[in-house]
Order: sequence, then structure tokens, then C-alpha cells
Amino acid sequence: MVGHSVCCNVHGFRPYFYINCPPGMGPDDISKFHQTLEAKMREKSANNGSPKCILQIEMMQKRSIMYYQQQQSQMFLKIVVALPTMVSGCRGRFFEAFKREDVRLEGRFNNLQYSSFLFAFYCSSLLCLLAGILEEGMQIGTYESNVLFPLRFMIDCNIVGGNWIEIPSGNYRRTAKTMSYCQLEIDCLYSDLVSHEPEGEFSKMAPFRVLSFDIECAGRKGFFPDAKHDPVIQVANLVTLQGENQPFVRNIMTLKSCSPIVGVDVMSFDTEREVLLAWRDFIQEVDPDIIIGYNICNFDLPYLIERAQALGIADFPIIGRIRNSMSRVKDATFSSRQYGTRESKEVSTVGRVQFDLLQAMQRDYKLSSYSLNSVSAHFLGEQKEDVHHSIISDLQNGNSETRRRLAVYCLKDAYLPQRLMEKLMFIYNYVEMARVTGVPISFLLSRGQSIKVLSQLLRKAKQKNLVLPSVKRKGSGDGTFEGATVLEARTGFYAKPIATLDFASLYPSIMMAYNLCYCTLVTPEDVRKLNLPPECVNKTPTGETFVKSNLQKGILPEILEELLGARKRAKADLKKAKDPLVKAVLDGRQLALKISANSVYGFTGATVAQLPCLEISSSVTSYGRQMIEDTKKHVEKKFTTDGGYEHNAEVIYGDTDSVMVQFGVSSVDAAMSLGREAAEYISGTFIKPIKLEFEKVYYPYLLISKKRYAGLYWTNPEKFDKMDTKGIETVRRDNCLLVKNLITECLHKILIDQDIPGAVQFVKNTISDLLMNRMDLSLLVITKGLTKTGEGYAVKQAHNELAERMRKRDAATAPTIGDRVPYVIIKAAKGAKAYEKSEDPIYVLENNIPIDVQYYLENQISKPLLRIFEPILKNASTELLHGNHTRSVSILTPSNTGIMKFAKKQLSCIGCRTVISNGEQALCPHCKGREAELYCKSVANVADLEMLFGKLWTQCQECQGSLHQDVLCTSRDCPIFYRRKKAQKDMAEAKLQLDRWQF
Amino acid sequence: MAMEIDDSSNNLQRKQSLYKSLDETFGVERERYTGQQYSQIYFARLHLMRTILYSLVDTWKPHLPVCTVLGLELGKECVIVGTLYKHMKLKPCVLDEYSKERTGIPLVRPHNFMHPEDHLVLEDESGRVKLGGTVISPSLFVTGNVVALHGKETSAGDFLVQDILEAGLPPQEELPFDTKDKYVVFVSGLSVGCSSSNPLLSQLLVDHITGHLGDEKEQILASQIVHVVIAGNSVELPTGLFNGQYLAAKDHSKLSMPIKELDILLTQIAAALPLDIMPGTSDPANFALPQQPLHRCLFPGTSAYNTFVSCTNPHSFEVDSVRFLGTSGQNIDDLDRYSNAESRLDFMERTLRWRHIAPTAPNTLGCYPFTDRDPFLMEKCPHVYFVGNQSKYENRLVKGPEGQLVRLICIPKFCESGVAVAVNIRNLECHALSFSTDLDL
Repeated sequence: MVGHSVCCNVHGFRPYFYINCPPGMGPDDISKFHQTLEAKMREKSANNGSPKCILQIEMMQKRSIMYYQQQQSQMFLKIVVALPTMVSGCRGRFFEAFKREDVRLEGRFNNLQYSSFLFAFYCSSLLCLLAGILEEGMQIGTYESNVLFPLRFMIDCNIVGGNWIEIPSGNYRRTAKTMSYCQLEIDCLYSDLVSHEPEGEFSKMAPFRVLSFDIECAGRKGFFPDAKHDPVIQVANLVTLQGENQPFVRNIMTLKSCSPIVGVDVMSFDTEREVLLAWRDFIQEVDPDIIIGYNICNFDLPYLIERAQALGIADFPIIGRIRNSMSRVKDATFSSRQYGTRESKEVSTVGRVQFDLLQAMQRDYKLSSYSLNSVSAHFLGEQKEDVHHSIISDLQNGNSETRRRLAVYCLKDAYLPQRLMEKLMFIYNYVEMARVTGVPISFLLSRGQSIKVLSQLLRKAKQKNLVLPSVKRKGSGDGTFEGATVLEARTGFYAKPIATLDFASLYPSIMMAYNLCYCTLVTPEDVRKLNLPPECVNKTPTGETFVKSNLQKGILPEILEELLGARKRAKADLKKAKDPLVKAVLDGRQLALKISANSVYGFTGATVAQLPCLEISSSVTSYGRQMIEDTKKHVEKKFTTDGGYEHNAEVIYGDTDSVMVQFGVSSVDAAMSLGREAAEYISGTFIKPIKLEFEKVYYPYLLISKKRYAGLYWTNPEKFDKMDTKGIETVRRDNCLLVKNLITECLHKILIDQDIPGAVQFVKNTISDLLMNRMDLSLLVITKGLTKTGEGYAVKQAHNELAERMRKRDAATAPTIGDRVPYVIIKAAKGAKAYEKSEDPIYVLENNIPIDVQYYLENQISKPLLRIFEPILKNASTELLHGNHTRSVSILTPSNTGIMKFAKKQLSCIGCRTVISNGEQALCPHCKGREAELYCKSVANVADLEMLFGKLWTQCQECQGSLHQDVLCTSRDCPIFYRRKKAQKDMAEAKLQLDRWQF
Repeated sequence: MAMEIDDSSNNLQRKQSLYKSLDETFGVERERYTGQQYSQIYFARLHLMRTILYSLVDTWKPHLPVCTVLGLELGKECVIVGTLYKHMKLKPCVLDEYSKERTGIPLVRPHNFMHPEDHLVLEDESGRVKLGGTVISPSLFVTGNVVALHGKETSAGDFLVQDILEAGLPPQEELPFDTKDKYVVFVSGLSVGCSSSNPLLSQLLVDHITGHLGDEKEQILASQIVHVVIAGNSVELPTGLFNGQYLAAKDHSKLSMPIKELDILLTQIAAALPLDIMPGTSDPANFALPQQPLHRCLFPGTSAYNTFVSCTNPHSFEVDSVRFLGTSGQNIDDLDRYSNAESRLDFMERTLRWRHIAPTAPNTLGCYPFTDRDPFLMEKCPHVYFVGNQSKYENRLVKGPEGQLVRLICIPKFCESGVAVAVNIRNLECHALSFSTDLDL
């Protein structure tokens, strides 16, 4: 039975929420209240099948989490309803009915709208009572009414994501009529569930069945595949057991015949209907727990379902675990402060977690491109061949060999997500995150940070008999507050070691040190009323008052303490652990704990979150600022020549949670010991657990401005660890590679080689190369994603205009929505708009179109360059950008534009470019004498190109993994893509020119 | 086609011979770059070699079925034919040059890219399979070899190799029976213009060949030389002259001086006897194999003689029906980078057995992307197989199973060793002609 999937139908758990018990309402009034409520509910939502809507109303002693309160508890009403949907389902209609009241009420109860149904409902049945309440100005609100039902269930049963659950024998029975495709289906009561904390043997990972799949569809030329028209032609599947490194099922379903592939089960079908149904049956049979892939959430899954719809296969979309439950495609918007707003599609697959590697990548890593190709190049160190979707149809329409070719490609696309997931240990990290924060794994991808904090908050509050108010969402909110300011940066190039003092988990430790929490915050009113003794409260720099922990221990600090304590334990265990799998789990856990601890602060500050409390977050940052300033003061006071030190220490820069100090000593070793001393001394002046740590020394250090610096990073005095840069290395995608290479090389020369003249010379050479048109085109390519069609953009944009132009040239290969558009900026007529100057790099190569080097000089490289060089070089601008090296310029003559169309092509002398009438010869009579030398030049050029040609094209064969088949790859992210293309073209031209020297 | 030396005192007659160039297959003048890739040359190679191998399999393993990679069945013994691909850990990758972040350590280029973890893969049009077992050693083979393998698929999906069949030496025309001694002289790596090259040595060589040196005995020997082959790297041009765009006037002369000097040397030889010149890596010729003949305009003096033939690299010809085949050394140098052998002669012998002089082309050895043929396939076995620009002079006589006789010659770099090699076409005996000035002559 080990490794079987189980569906457990848990009975007896009902959704509920709390409301304040209106004063004067006693236990006797409850039944009447219940009846009116029930009647109202029936009236408005007839026929929902449930015999009773309101199951129970109960009076309970609870306390709101908001604000410090002296009395221990108040009376609350717990309202238990029959179905989770009842709350939100009826909300709208009830809201309508009492619109007039709302207007009046809104001013007082800012939580009205969100829980409007409940509130409005309440006042309708007890209208007279309401009037009285309103006058008194009492707070009436719902509590915990916006908790998702699954989360509610998990919290009440102490279940976390990735949890082991035991159902003792005898407490369950096999379901007679199964509802799911699970191998085992049982019924039990929710109270019989035994949840095991993920410790010891229960920290093991379940042997999940992971399905990785990818589909190919035959698009029409010039269009992105559309499910209404374009057939699904192949589906590749790999199934792996979590923890094993080889898939145990590899298969591919193809439309029309396909030659066999070693180690893969190839299933060919004649109709698309059969392909789709075979896939559905496969899913049901394999019964995967986790479905992974690249961009499956937004493309593959919705496409399959929409395609089945288009073909009229009604019973296709049963890919969840529940029998006869149809998966549908929904549009969803995901908005988070951290990740921004994203539109996406959602396909429900009940009982199976969808894990889209693309989403995970976009969340967890900052990369310049998220194509599967560049992601696998980055993490797995291998280039993937990229077949353009316009070629796919050709391959499909070929024979079984070409379809096999496509199948291999498709399989690779299914295999790479699997490899990525293994390599980056996503399963471990996400399961650990789910365990730590107590939310289901699916929430981690589809929701923001706040749900994780909310889950922990609710769990903690439940233990303390506290309830959370349901607060109205304020939308985007303008409630910004002063962020973490940084100390003024004393810019410049520092040739002496700079010690860096870091606060360890600054914000969490501030919250712990000052006991900042919802339940310790004293309202200004209460400050006056309660007259708390000053030794029991902390007044924050922003003027808020929080009680100290002797009066009331905050919940947030407690959560944080647990998180950080657990992290410490996990780290200690990690050191001891030997088994690589255990290590992976523990490392994932400590990482999850760290992230969670840091997101608590964000939760209180996020105005779109469930329970924002700007009093807390602004206090935290203000304390943070104070700490940084205190540190600066202490350092500059203590470490002086007067204090017995060799030099006066100087704080040159301070960031959110670190301070850079120049102690004046010239050896790294000395700076380190002073740094350690300073960290220890200053930590002593702060309240525990705020702690200043010494970690690293920068030497040399180039401080450009705030949040922009570079330096060599030393953690031991013998050898530097790496070159560390912040805010400089422009990995931004709207920069071309040239910028990145140039800046990296310059920093390398300045910092590691300490060769400033060398760096200057390098810049000059690069600029000269650029002006002389000797730059490799791929370094100049800028890429942008095409998200909307022409009309979609309000302002004309370079990449979008180019896509339009390319469509006119050749609709088949033009980029479509979702593609990334690479372009270069070309020389255009004077006064041409910036967006008119973009051009397809391949087109530029083929037609010798001149590049707008001035654009690259002024708009791309000058700013980052000057930023680096201004602190270290006088007249950096004149020296670098206007020197002698900018005098010679070479411009190509375009072969297809403007006047060139009218020009007549004539052969010219290879030596002096004089037109020669006799086309049979290579040289004019004048240059005849230099024949040997000119020939040497020509042939040397050919030799160089041949060498390049050979290297590039054999590399592509290597990536492709086949010698006998042509390379099809069109991956524009590949560093040699343009070079390869250019080599091919240059080679052809050079060969022709060489042939003019008849032998 | 021989020249006569008019020496009034001795009246020695230079021997004559019949010369026939077989270079046509190496010409690319009619070829064009039209976007073709390297898959076609592999395809052509596999196709031709497979025909040969299939015909041999009948006698080699008559009882075994012949399969494609796709048709392999678990545990079933069979014979498969395909192109080898060697997975090499240390093989330099052009992507690294472009994409890797700059590190503090400069890229180290080892002389040989072998690594113990290298493994072989066999590929045909239908797919690839990893080769296992101890019978096939990755250090002996290179990417591009076409072989037949006897073995079976293991449960891990590998192909366990039990026996290997190479195409073996190609068929050979019988060596013509001739009683007279006639010599063909090979020299390579004159490197005129190189700082280490000694003009005196080159002049000694020329004078010896042309019969202007030594006593009568030596002159008699010289008169028996019927042909001279210069196997590449005749000049060394200053590097970096062509990279930049500007070429100052003073550089022009620097560039053409070595070539002029060479022209003078060659004129003297060509005036005396037939002379073939092959291009090499350092010569002003194209890079990819087959390298095309050096242009006549480089040798205004020598071109005037019809005894002067500028030929391709590889170069194939017949002298009195004795077949010669050779290169300027790139093919063997490349094998040395990507496989192991005791001596250069072993590499040469291997290429004979593979019936292919440059299997690493195009993978690691630059070559022209042929579309319909593979000119490096050896259809007929040469009698003399030479390779230029090697570190030392070596030779070996290889006997084939069908009685083929092949003289393998490593021609040393003349500028370093002062050695040229003479082969007697009567009996394929060869000896070194050493011109060393170190011996205070």
C-alpha cells in the first residue's frame, strides 16, 4: 500500500465566522436571531439544495487581536453555516438590498464592504438594535469571515501543507461508491484526524508522483497557436517518483505516425481526438500528485482544454482526481506588491498540484530572460535547441522521421522542467515552506506572501483565543510611509579596506525587541484613557505607543521568535546531517523560515493585505533608521585617535541594514578585527535580540551613489571571495549585452587588477570598435517581450513597431504575442523617431544596414560608464566619450534601402575600390602590383571566417545532439545565434570575393 | 616533364617520371556557401562507409543480424553501423568564449583534451546510443569515425560492445615494377620569415636538390630526384597583421618579404625539376580543409615554370603510377588533441584503417561543408602516405591484409630539424636528407 494515493472524505467540519455580540443580546435571543437569519437566507437564496443554511449560532468569549485591551475577553457570536460558498455567494444580493444603509455606515465601519453580506444581513434582522448601536458608535464587524475554507479547516485541525496525517484504524471506513480516481478512498470524521508535526520520521517527503509534460501544436504561419484552429500534435510525458532521479515512465503521444525513440514509448494516433483522450486516460491511470512543466498554467493546460472544447470532446477535461469533475479555464489576476500584477489562466485540477516552473522561476530568481532555453542554460549549463513554432508545422507535415525529430524536441521540453526542479530542489523548498507557514503548497505559487503570514497569525491567534477582524481592502492604497532611508553615500573610490557591519534580520529583531504587534498597539485614545505607566510602554520614533511584553506579549514577536528559533535549529541540524536528502529538506526549511520571518514586516505594511497596520510597519522602519544612525554615531565616537585607535573611523555609507565603515587601516586583516570589535561593542548598546554582525570587508571599494557600489568581497584575510556589485551590473533586459560586458570588464580591471589606465584603454578600444563597426551584432541586441498588438500600446514602442513591420515583410516568421522581440537600433533619416529606428538583427545582417552607433554610445553605454568612472577619473566624460578614439568612424552602405535601389552594382577593385569595367578581374591596373599582399589579406579574412564558421556550426550540432540532422534551432537567447548567422553570410560573401582572384 | 641539368663536365641526366595529379576531389572552386550545414558531410560519410562495412560484416559476423540504433532490442546480439561521437568533458566550447562570466583565471588550453570520463556514442540517422564495455576505448576513437559494432543493448539502455570492425585498408593498385631508383623528396615547414628559420639551410636544401652541391656521388643521387613536394607551412607571416583594419605602408613589405623570399627559393627548384607546393596552417591560404592551392600571384617568379604545381591540402598524386597521399599535418595534429597514441605513425595507421584521413573534420577540424560527398574518404590505398609539419622524422611500412604496402612518413618541420625526406619509388624505402648547420661543415 506504500505510495498509493488516498482520498479521504472528511465529514463534520463546517465553515464559520465570528461577529461581535451586540450589547444587550443574551443567550435567550439567539434562537430568534437564528430564525430570522435563516429566513432571510432562504428568501434570498432559494433552492441551493441545503436544508438549512445557518447551522448554529453560539456565544463565545473571545478577544479581538486589534489593539491592546485591558479586559481579557468579550462576547462574540460564532455563526456556523452549511456551505463555504454561502458567505460570499449571497453577499452581493444582500448588499443590494441595503445599499442606502451602507452609504451611511461606511464612514464608521471601514470593514463594511468586505464583509457586507454578514453585516448587512445582521442589521436587517435587528434593525431596531442597529439604530442603537450606531448611535453609540460601537464597532460591529465580522471576524475571520475572509478566511478561505481550506485554510480554516487546516488551521482548526492543526494541519500544515506537506503534512503527514494519520487516521487511526477503526476510525474510518472504505467508501462504497468512490468519487475519485485515487487508489484508496475513505470516509472519516474531522475530529479523528491525527496530524503529525514534520519532525523526525515525519519530516520525510511523501513519494509524490510527478508528471512533467509538454505539448506541441501546429500553428499557422504568422500566428501564435490558437486553440480554436490549431491542432495539438504531440504530448510528451515523463513521470518521476519524488526522490528518484530517473523518470519511470517516458512516453509521447503523437498525431500521425512517428518513428520509435530509444527508451520512450511512442504512441501514435490518427486523430487528434484520440491523442487528447489518450492523454486524459494516461493522467487518470498514472494519477500524478504534482503536474509540472514550463508555462503549463498559462499555455499547455488551458490549450488542451480549449482545444477539446473546440473539437467537441465533452468528456476530455476530467484531469483532476474527482470523478466527473470538469476542469475549466478561468482567467485570474494575481497581484502582489512583491511580484507585481500578472494576468494568468487557471485550470482547476482537483487533487493535483500544478507546479509551473516558469512561475517559480519568475518568483524566485531574477533573470534577464525566462525562456526555457536561457533558464536551462543558466542553471543546468546546457543550451537547448529552440524550434520556432513556424517550423513545427513543417515537421509535422513531413514524414514519421520529421515527426520523430519533433517528438525528441518535445520530450526534451518535458525533461528540462523535471531537471530544473531537481536541481533547484523546488519540491523540498516549497514543501518546507508550506510546512513552516501552514498553507497548502498550491497557495505558494498562486498567492502572494501575505497568505503565509495570515495563516501563521490565525494559528497563533487561535491558541490565544484571539480573533482577527476582517478588514475592508483599500485597493492599491496610498498609505505609504517613510521607507528605510539610507545614510548619505560618500561616493568615491576607496583603496583602503571598508568593513561592513550588518544587522542580522533587522526588521524581525526590531519587532521582537520592541514587542510590536497588533495586540500591543495602544490607540491614541487609550493612551489618554488608560494612563499606562511609562516603564510599561515603548514610544516609537513615529510616536506610536506599544505596551511592553510584561503587560501583553505580542503575537507577531512570538511568531518571529519561533521562526528564527526554528531556523537556528534547522541550521544546526543541517550541519550535523549527512544524508543529502535530509540536507536538502533542512536547507529548504531554513530558507523558508528566513523568508517567512522577513515577510511578517511586509504583511503589516501591505495595504492590500488582509490586516494592514501601518502603525507597526512605520515604527519598524523608523527604528531601523534610528539603529543605523546610532551605529554611525557610536562608530565615529569610539574609533578615534583620541580613543586610542590608529585612525579616525569614518562611516561612508549606510544601507537598510548595513553600515560601511572605513577604519583607516590598510590591511584587510586589521579592518576585520576592528570590524568584529565594533560589531560586538555596538550590539551591546541595543536591546536584544537586535544584533550587529561583522561579515565582510570590501577592498577596494567603489561607491557610486546610494544603492550602487562595487567591490571585492573578503571574508578571510588571505583571498577575496568574489567581486560583489550592487545596482551596477545592469542585468536589465532593455540593455544590450555590450553594456554588461563593458561594465563587468571595467570593474574587473579597476577592482581586481587595480589597473585604472587599463580600464580606460579598454573603454576606448570598445568605443572605437563600436564606431568602426567592428562590434559583434549580438552584443547590440536589445530584447523586449511583445505583450500586446499594435493598438494595445498607447505609446509607440520600438519593439512593437518592429513586430508590425516584420509582419508586413513576412507574416510567417514575424514575432507574435508572447514572443520576445530582439532588435537593434539602426541609423535612420534625421529626425526619425526612436521607435522607427528599431530593426530585426537578422535583417540588419542580411542587408548591411548601418547601426546607430551614437545611440549606443549615448543612450546605452555612456551613463553606466560615467557612473563608474566619475568617482575615479577627472573629466571622465571628455576623456572616455570624446577622445581621439572617437574620431574615426566607419559606416556600412545599406544594400536595400532608399537610393541604393536605384544604384547599379558594379565590381570594384578589391585594393582601392575603384570601379573596374572588366568584371573578370579582381584588381584595377593600379593595384596590380600589390596583388600578393592584397590577396593575402583576402585569404586571411576567409581563413578567419572559416575557422569561426566551423566552430559555431559544430557547436550547434553538439547542442542538438545529432550529427546527421540539420540544425533547426532559432534560439535568439543563444550567445552564438547571430554570430552563426553572420558567419554563414560573411562566409558566402568572402568565398565569392576570393573566387574573383581566378586561379 | 623532367628538366635536364646541363652540366658540361659530368653530363648527368636527371631521371624523368610520369606525374598525374589526383587533386580534383579536393577542389571547392565550384562549391558555394548557400546555407548548407555539416550534417550532409556526415550523412555522405556514413552512407559510403556503411556500404563498405555492410559488405564486410557478412564475413566478419555472418550469423548476426544487422540493426539500426532504433531497432536495438534488449539483450539481443547484433551488429550496428554508425558514426561515433565522443562526449568529451574537456573539449573547449565556443559558447564559453562568449557567454561565461569573466573569471579571474585565464582559460587554460591543454595540449590534449582527453579525460577519463569521456565516453563514446554511436549515431545513425535513427538515433544515438551510448556505448559501454571495455572493448571499445574512448581514447582510441574520435568523433566522426564510422565503425561497425557487435554487441547488445543492456537494461540501462547502453550498447555493450563486444567487438569492433573498422573498414580496414582500402584496396591498392599493385606497385609497378621498376628497376631504377627514383626519389621523391618531401619537405615541410620551411617557415620562411620565421625568426628561427635559417636561410642558409633552405638554400643548402635547394642546392642539393638541384645538384649544385657535393661531389659526383651526391650529384648522382640528386639526379635521381624526380619530384619535390613541399607539404605546407612554407612561410610564416607575422601574426596579427590581418586582424586590424589598418595596414601601414611599412607593414606591406613585412608581409610580402617572406613570400618573395620563398618565391626565389622555389624558382630555383622549379627550374630544375617538378615541384608541388601544398598550403599549410601558416600559409596565406584558407583555413578549412581541403585547403585550396596557394595563388599563383604569390609566386610571380616560380609561376613562370610549368614544372611548378600549386596544389591542395590534402594532396594526392601519382608518380610513375606510385600513388601518394598526404596532408600538411592538420588531420594528425587534431587526432593528437582528441585521442591518444604512442606515436604519430599510429595515428596515421589508424586513419588508414578507418579509410578516412580526417575523421575529426568537421567536428574539431575546420572543413568545407560539402553537400554530396566526403573527399576525405580514402577510396584507394596510397603507396606513400605522408604528413607534414611533425616534430620528428619517422617512417613505417604497413602491410595490409590484402597485401597492401604503405609507407607512412612523418615529415619534420624543416626550419627546426633541417631534415627533408626522400622516398625511393622503386621499393618505397625512405631516408632523411639532413642539412644541419650546427655541425660546422
